[in-house]
Amino acid sequence: MALEPLPHVYPFRFVDRVVEVTGPASGRVRAAVTAGQRCPAYALPGTLCEMLAQAVLLIEGGDADLGRSGFLAGISDFQVDRLPDPGDLLTIDVRLAGRLGAAVKFEGEITDDTGRKVASGALTVRKGTAPPPSPP
Amino acid sequence: MEQAELKVRVKELIVRQLKLEVAPDSIKDGAPLFGESAEGLGLDSIDALELVLGVEKEFGIKVQDEEVGVKAFASVDALCEFIRSKAA
Repeated sequence: MALEPLPHVYPFRFVDRVVEVTGPASGRVRAAVTAGQRCPAYALPGTLCEMLAQAVLLIEGGDADLGRSGFLAGISDFQVDRLPDPGDLLTIDVRLAGRLGAAVKFEGEITDDTGRKVASGALTVRKGTAPPPSPP
Repeated sequence: MEQAELKVRVKELIVRQLKLEVAPDSIKDGAPLFGESAEGLGLDSIDALELVLGVEKEFGIKVQDEEVGVKAFASVDALCEFIRSKAA
């Protein structure tokens, strides 16, 4: 499948292309890790969360408005087994876990080219504008 | 399943699924789960989604849309009634 559009650009783009779509917000995405990307962004587990989110957005068609009309509402059961190394070809499998109104939850797993798990977890996003932060 | 047993399972599900730091038996049967209420849990739409996923997994019940979800998830009593009606 050809490279899909995504509003994110280097150095904040962490996925490359969709290889399979199995349903709404579900499918498989590939990402190659280069030496230039390895540090410091890939040293942060949050980058792997972002990779899952970008994989879903890429599968959904890379619609810039879609990407900007929602916000991250939760991260759950996220586990990082190892941080990626330069040269890794990562596979990101994502699956729509559930949807209720404006809230959408999806689960994902990132593996390397030997099939070893890199990270896994679930993200919840909510369409609309994020509420203002609560006062301390 | 007995009504009392179902309530215990539902309360345990709520606490487990939402990772609440309250005892399951401290949740009142008729208290509103959502919105601002002195005796309610004050859950929000993200919690609602988590609860829907928990009910689907625990009881094998599909919740079709937000309207049904909000009505069925108004309280522990309402949720038990919803589960019983779907299981009947």
